[in-house]
Amino acid sequence: MKFAQLVEIIFLYSFETDVGWFDFPELALWTAGLSQTRVLALDPALPELEQEERLRAFLLKGKRHPVVLVGLDPLWRGRATINLLLEKFRLNPGLLALVDLYEALQYPHAKYVLIKAQELIYLAATRVAQAHPTEFQDFPMNSRVLVWGDSWAACQAALELAQQDHEVILAAPGSALPETPPPDLMPLLNQVQAQALIQPLWEASIMDLAGGAGNFTVQIKTGAGLREERVGAVILAPEFRLTANFAGYGLSPQPRLLSQTQLESLLLSEPETDHPPLGVAAFLLGLAGDTCPQSLRRALGAASRLLSRNRQVHLFLGQAQVAAPGLEEALENALAAGLFLYKLQETPEIVPEKDGIKLGFRDPILLRPLEIRADVVVVEENYYGAPENQFLSLLTQIGPAPSRFLQGENVHHLAGVTNRRGIFVVGPGHGVLELPESLTEAKATALEVSKLLDRGHRRGPKAEATVDRGRCVLCLTCYRLCPHGAITWDNRALIRDLDCQGCGLCASECPNNAIHFSSYSDEQMFAELENLDPRLHPRIIAFMCRNSAWIAYQAALKLEQGVLPLGFTAFKLPCAGKIDLDFILKAFTMGAAGVLVLACHPENCRSHRGNLHAHWRTEQAQALLVEAGLHPGRVLFQTLAANSPSDLLKEIDQWCTQLREIEEAVTKKVPA
Amino acid sequence: MKPLENPVLVLGGGIAGITATLELTRLGHTVILAEKGPFLGGRAAHFTCKATDTCQKCGACLVEQCLLDLFAAPRLKIETQSQLIACRRENGRFRCTLKGQPLLVDPKRCINCSLCASECPAAEAGAVMTTSQVPHHPRYAILPEHCLHFLEGSCRVCADLCPTGAIDLNQRERELDLTVAAVVLATGYQPADPRELSHYGYGYVPGVITGVELENLLRHGFEQLFPGGGRQLSRVAFIQCVGSRNHRHPYCSRVCCAYTLRLARLIKHRRPDCQVTTFYMDLQNVGQTPGKFLAAVQEEITTIRALPGIVAGTAGGTVKVRYVEESTGQALFEEFDLVVLAVGMGAGQDNRTLGSMLRLELTPERFFQPADAEERATTGQPGVFLAGAALGPLSIPESIAQATAAAWRVHRYLEGTCRRAPDPEQIREQVGAGH
Repeated sequence: MKFAQLVEIIFLYSFETDVGWFDFPELALWTAGLSQTRVLALDPALPELEQEERLRAFLLKGKRHPVVLVGLDPLWRGRATINLLLEKFRLNPGLLALVDLYEALQYPHAKYVLIKAQELIYLAATRVAQAHPTEFQDFPMNSRVLVWGDSWAACQAALELAQQDHEVILAAPGSALPETPPPDLMPLLNQVQAQALIQPLWEASIMDLAGGAGNFTVQIKTGAGLREERVGAVILAPEFRLTANFAGYGLSPQPRLLSQTQLESLLLSEPETDHPPLGVAAFLLGLAGDTCPQSLRRALGAASRLLSRNRQVHLFLGQAQVAAPGLEEALENALAAGLFLYKLQETPEIVPEKDGIKLGFRDPILLRPLEIRADVVVVEENYYGAPENQFLSLLTQIGPAPSRFLQGENVHHLAGVTNRRGIFVVGPGHGVLELPESLTEAKATALEVSKLLDRGHRRGPKAEATVDRGRCVLCLTCYRLCPHGAITWDNRALIRDLDCQGCGLCASECPNNAIHFSSYSDEQMFAELENLDPRLHPRIIAFMCRNSAWIAYQAALKLEQGVLPLGFTAFKLPCAGKIDLDFILKAFTMGAAGVLVLACHPENCRSHRGNLHAHWRTEQAQALLVEAGLHPGRVLFQTLAANSPSDLLKEIDQWCTQLREIEEAVTKKVPA
Repeated sequence: MKPLENPVLVLGGGIAGITATLELTRLGHTVILAEKGPFLGGRAAHFTCKATDTCQKCGACLVEQCLLDLFAAPRLKIETQSQLIACRRENGRFRCTLKGQPLLVDPKRCINCSLCASECPAAEAGAVMTTSQVPHHPRYAILPEHCLHFLEGSCRVCADLCPTGAIDLNQRERELDLTVAAVVLATGYQPADPRELSHYGYGYVPGVITGVELENLLRHGFEQLFPGGGRQLSRVAFIQCVGSRNHRHPYCSRVCCAYTLRLARLIKHRRPDCQVTTFYMDLQNVGQTPGKFLAAVQEEITTIRALPGIVAGTAGGTVKVRYVEESTGQALFEEFDLVVLAVGMGAGQDNRTLGSMLRLELTPERFFQPADAEERATTGQPGVFLAGAALGPLSIPESIAQATAAAWRVHRYLEGTCRRAPDPEQIREQVGAGH
């Protein structure tokens, strides 16, 4: 057994590590006995300068060798050491592996603890010895930004960025910004109009969008013709569209039926045009289809104006959507001002009459039928994304989401961030948000854009995933699959470094194995699987997504409940979608009793559908096991959240019981 | 440690405080993060994952990664068990005094062996606190307000037992004087006290718990709800709007419908034979397609539009709930094994003190008042900013977005007033991903 290159192993050794049944010196001696290693014991409590000196004396000059840092909770205890290695000694993070001895300490016997610790160190050393770490590079970033849409969120985002010296193109299909905004938005409008760095483009439409973060090329068509703009980031905040929900209430348009917008413009026009007369108004809200706090706020606003003019107002309300600041109070105030409120489960019966509209319903308090005659009936409106969203979604590979919005819900995509680096969806672009929320998001997005483009360059990994141009047959599987839109092509597939978020989906799905993923390479995984310690039994291999299960696993190790099987070994994947059929089969070849694949819950994947791909691949593996005459239950796919370590332990425990049953069934069949 | 240049003081180590801190350090600023309790992560850290067949988008899982990032962040000083006791403006900066208790358990020495927690004679009073948040180290903290050594000087059990000598009980509270360029208030919220509504029987009817308690319980594994050997849990009721939408709290807490419906679905998903009922006033929108979500909910659980009048224990150990059926007006009784009160979000306890110290206005509900409706991160005081649920009820994703916007506001403010620290080392961000 020999590592591919010399590995420097640093033990974080202080007297705490000697406590209990752990024989640290023996482990260190064993490590020193391995070929191709150098070993240093370092007290993590030493002052930083002292540590630096000792590291300098220990680490070989010249070529940087991979380093394995072994300790109890090294991320915490060895934080200073890690920082020294990465910053002072310029060690590539890909060449540093941490071994947390807690993983070994859970076993109740000194012998097992030692064997387990040996395996952990051996595997970590194998992995880093095989590493071809990614280098970092400064990428030039264009600091111009395209803000699409004429919503207030778009204006806010444009203003924030322009004030930070970004040149901003504010483009929208409309012909201009509204001239008379609500009074508290007047300062925003004035500032946007006065800002020299904001270049407005009206009556525009996006025809094409190419390139990636820091360097997009956008084709925009305006009245003056087609123009090509180069920008570093794109913010999409198209205003939503409103349509009166007449159909939802089974109504056909007629003069006495008003949409909320129609009523609002009627109320604004001075002198008030009473046609049709607004003597008695009835509002329908939340009784058919989706409703939202905005609708209630608008209805209450109009109702209180009518009430202040001594009109009679009836509000027929399904679910009162008061989940927004001040709405409960507004509802109470309207009631105090004389609003008649009926909370119903069903839509009232609406009958048009000669001089009004009759609404018949069962009163929920009197518990008997009632009828009300209204002069006008005001119907709420539904909120949809802008019509151009469908095309934008195709162009950007973001969404689509229900109600024509751009981006679906994913808790990893907050503050305007999307699956595409450099493209942000804000406010009305992704849902029915109230104005303060939209503006808040616009500011949060300004921060994200600033982090991305600031200083005109960005440091990032260079060629983390690369295409072997000799093997690529341009089948475009990777292009279709990439959740981050990072892949394009010339006469072979090309991966844009800045857009790649390192999920590795492409590498494991490429039918011709043409994509090499440097930080989690197949060679590393195979080498580790080949070097598993045969003394540990039963051998169970778990592949875990680093965003969920891996975090839960780290937590589970430190819970005082249950012990994992001695042969349990966890491998971290950048996304569960990186799981390769070959990994699973290799694990079985190396004597695994079972293979566990742990992914994020559906719709929680950072890489959109990485968990789904992992699921499909485990199903494929199960089918292969059946063909080989093995029980398909030996491969298990599970989804898990980062904050459920107890669930992880329970799942493993249950599954191990199943595995034992499978093994017993096999041994019964084959007499010894 | 080098003196910090133009640092920002972030008060509150919950998800909003952590987000603001992380974003500020990423923009190159120096941050001092002060947290009242011994651990970071705030209330969201105790919430459970509510995924059924799919993720329910509650955001509780985001805390773990945030903590990992936080502990790897550069230019950051964390002060746990610290509170702001004085603050005054001086040359455009703030002279702040933090009163803090140094950690009694030395993180460099502690090996998380749990001896101190298991042998503490005042463990029941809560003298040794443990966190299940694994990014923390040590995961044990001794709270002087409950520790016998601090109360009467009698006990040194933990210090004597600690195998690594990590516990030093002689450390006394100290005051820390800071000069900071800006202050971010991310002090969060206080769950409503269900004892205010005494007819719900909280505190004296066994089997009545709060939504927060249920979250905490499930955080430690779903099985916690079904203790072995105990009575089978087959009927669970949720009661909405406890401590919100009433005369004392005339506002909607916004998140309770979402969390109870998600919890209800989680229970139903894991235990399909369990009957789940929700008593509500109005069901607030959940998610991007609220209609679809509600339809799915109503297929799985019973929703009753009524708030119960009486919740009482029975001789059999169950909980009896009396309510008025909406369509007939009849009073009905129904029995449940567990009643969960969906407590709302109230203002933080320290808001008055902090408000008067920093001269901030409070809303009638005692949340902090933002400068205006559109500008939710700034306050009437330049240099003092708001993040997260200190503003009012917000969900986890909303808190994160709001805290990011607040960090941006702080950044813009500091750029206007002070010089920026040198560029952040981006490689540092990679450390958290180390194996």
